[in-house]
Amino acid sequence: MLERRYNPITGEWVMISSSRQKRPNLPKDSCPICPGILELPEEYDLVSFENRFPALRKNAPEVENDNDVLIRERSQGICEVVVYTKNHNSELSQMSIKQIEKLINMWSDRTKELSSYDFIKYIFIFENKGKEVGATLPHPHGQLYAFPFLPPRIKLKMESLEKWYTEKNTCAICDIIKEENKKNKRIICETENMIALVPFYARYPYEVHIYPKRHVESIYELSNKEKKEFAYVLKIVTNKYNGLFNMPFPYMMMFFQKPFNIDKSTHFFHFHVEFISPMRGPNLIKWIASVESGTWAFINPIEPEQAAKQLREVEVDI
Amino acid sequence: MQIFSMKYDKNFFEIKENNYMLKFNIQRIPEGFILRGKIKGNPKRVELFRDDVDKVMFINNWQSWGVSKSIDIEDYTLKISEDKKSRLKYSIHIMPELFEKNIISDYFIGKKDKIYGFLTSKIAHPFFEIKDNELIAYLDFFDRKFEDYVDIEPFIYLEGKNIESLLEIYADYVKFENKPKFSKWNPIGWSSWYQYYEKLTWEEILKNLELSKGYNYEVFQIDDSWQKDIGDWVPKDGYPSLKEIANKIREYNYIPGIWLAPFSVSETSDVYKNHKDWLVKDDAGNLKVAYINWKKKIYALDTTHPEVQNYLRKIFLYMRKNGIHYFKIDFLFAGAIPGNRYEKITPIEAYNLGMQIIRKATKGDFLLGCGAPLLPSIGYVDGMRISEDTAPYYNADDINIPYQNAYYALRNVITRYFMNGKWWWNDPDCLSLRIEDTKPNEKIIEMYAYVSGILNNIIFQSDDLSKSIRKDVFFNTLELRGGNSHVKGLMNFNNFFEIEALNTKIGNIKMKVDLEKVEYSIEKDIEYPQINKRTIVREDDKRLFHYYEESDLNA
Repeated sequence: MLERRYNPITGEWVMISSSRQKRPNLPKDSCPICPGILELPEEYDLVSFENRFPALRKNAPEVENDNDVLIRERSQGICEVVVYTKNHNSELSQMSIKQIEKLINMWSDRTKELSSYDFIKYIFIFENKGKEVGATLPHPHGQLYAFPFLPPRIKLKMESLEKWYTEKNTCAICDIIKEENKKNKRIICETENMIALVPFYARYPYEVHIYPKRHVESIYELSNKEKKEFAYVLKIVTNKYNGLFNMPFPYMMMFFQKPFNIDKSTHFFHFHVEFISPMRGPNLIKWIASVESGTWAFINPIEPEQAAKQLREVEVDI
Repeated sequence: MQIFSMKYDKNFFEIKENNYMLKFNIQRIPEGFILRGKIKGNPKRVELFRDDVDKVMFINNWQSWGVSKSIDIEDYTLKISEDKKSRLKYSIHIMPELFEKNIISDYFIGKKDKIYGFLTSKIAHPFFEIKDNELIAYLDFFDRKFEDYVDIEPFIYLEGKNIESLLEIYADYVKFENKPKFSKWNPIGWSSWYQYYEKLTWEEILKNLELSKGYNYEVFQIDDSWQKDIGDWVPKDGYPSLKEIANKIREYNYIPGIWLAPFSVSETSDVYKNHKDWLVKDDAGNLKVAYINWKKKIYALDTTHPEVQNYLRKIFLYMRKNGIHYFKIDFLFAGAIPGNRYEKITPIEAYNLGMQIIRKATKGDFLLGCGAPLLPSIGYVDGMRISEDTAPYYNADDINIPYQNAYYALRNVITRYFMNGKWWWNDPDCLSLRIEDTKPNEKIIEMYAYVSGILNNIIFQSDDLSKSIRKDVFFNTLELRGGNSHVKGLMNFNNFFEIEALNTKIGNIKMKVDLEKVEYSIEKDIEYPQINKRTIVREDDKRLFHYYEESDLNA
């Protein structure tokens, strides 16, 4: 079954994709995205391909919606696996800056291409790294979901950024960047055009956000200089993570860009990246339990200023 | 219930006037507000809004060829001779007398930090008048009577940091309101007009088809000259049948394109001779001249007349059937001139009816509007001329009425940049890239082409391909396309503009252009690894695989 169902209590769409249960258990030591194995029979540099077991599909089956209460819709969208390099034993932190620069161009191109489909409303680029966040394949890769609707947190971001713009005629993230620069307590890495910081309002212990200083709405609007600095900052942040507890650091890396093909202003959306991790100390996990899951209210056990200091002090050599 | 003595019902305030009733509400948006409403009665011209003016205002004319530019309202004059007035007629404005005597801006008007505009033109003609240091927003319903409430054209007020970003936001709201579905394809082609004008022969077409190999055009479009008369859309003597024309163009793998002026009828045409009842008339029942061109009086088809509707439908179906799949439809304003018609509806409604018929008959083909009222055309055309005709000369003068001149055309290409990709694909008019048989120097040729490319406009070339041609400029221009463009400098009087295009085929580009000094510079972004994409479809499950690898820069 592939369809999405509406929850009128929360306004959420839930994607039902029973084929994902059928994902095979691959033989140990066999990587399906290494060149010449299962998915990618030939040599490659970078590749993005449609997921074999997607939650959304371009040619999703039609669904019959014959009920006003139990509402279902077609799961039309696109899910891609984004492979960063052919080198199995690498990761974002270890990749050359040049490979990350090429990866940024691939993310930009995927965004531009997928946003040309009228049915796509949101393009979410992300990476789950480490078994602690459910990643099963160690080969360096991320994913992207091109949604036919705005997911709840994106709606919330849009509403908040719109409200801020309506009240102040400015962008909230532009204002935050100015304020964080003044305070200089939570910045962990900064270049001429990019800033990485533990946000004032961090939900997770070592949450890091990356903001381009110039107001751009999507990844493909970054200039080459900004993209170069973005590559550098991505490498710095992921290396600092690994150096924090001297262990491969699990994280979720999530890109937030403006929605596409909606009948609403989006110019107040500021492209940004959020890194979150379940780690709250060496071998200590912050579990997402009832309060967070049930109310979406987060309790952060580490002061963001302290987390920023720790990350700032991790020396990295790139 | 009543609020401040106004009836309030279902989120609408109600106003009663002698000749109409108006319901309205105001919707807050992040950048300002939208005023929506409904009207009934015989409203004629309704004032909606008033505000102070600034000394410098950005104004816009109703149709493709008219001016979009900033003006000093204390120093604004309309230099227009009586002779010109009698020839141009409705091409300068839907209400020429009003336009000649006042400062009028159609659809929207701007200050350095504000935009006032209308989001649609489906029934009324929306415009602004500057009078006694005030700007006044009007909707003109002509003499239309409404028994039931109809929606008024929504009015929008936007405030922000600069006019350029506000115009882009205005274009977004117009798009949200009209929801146009136009072609995703932004075409490249050849057109006959700016080399051959009305002297094009079939032999010259064959010659240019043969010489066109290597340009990789997508469309080969025959312009004005092929037809028997304006209104008689069949090939004139010396031309083969439409089918043969289309087949010949197809042999070269181009989409066959043709020009016509579907709402226009000349005084010498068979349509005029046989169907005077198909034409728009004045109150006394005399035929109304829409404009004079080709040294002939041109009348306007009454698109509300069932026989005219059938005639329009048949023309386009016939052309399609014979293999024409790209239509440049010109002098469209003729479909929207005020006057008496078969149905008592506004000229804007009549225009909409005509365009609906054409769009339906050409479904899936590319429609390029020209000489067209802007807002009423949204949703019907795939491409739109947003300037007056270019010309083989470039005079940096400053008159405020349509005037064939490369300078005048190029300025509008820049000042109307914000419509591109949101309402349609902007057509900057053809590039003439020959360096013989023309007056503009090579700097002008380059400047016109590169501005059109960086703004990601439609690119059509119009040259006798046997002449000396700056082929390099053509291909460089294509490389500049594909980006998202932003312009700065619209409120300046010096005609100096800065254009930034993000994500073009060759990356991010900045261009500075001085239209008066005829100077430009292009700055490319710093070096960055470029990647090529190769997409393959997996045989077994039809999944797409996009392989990326670094471009070989030495290739």
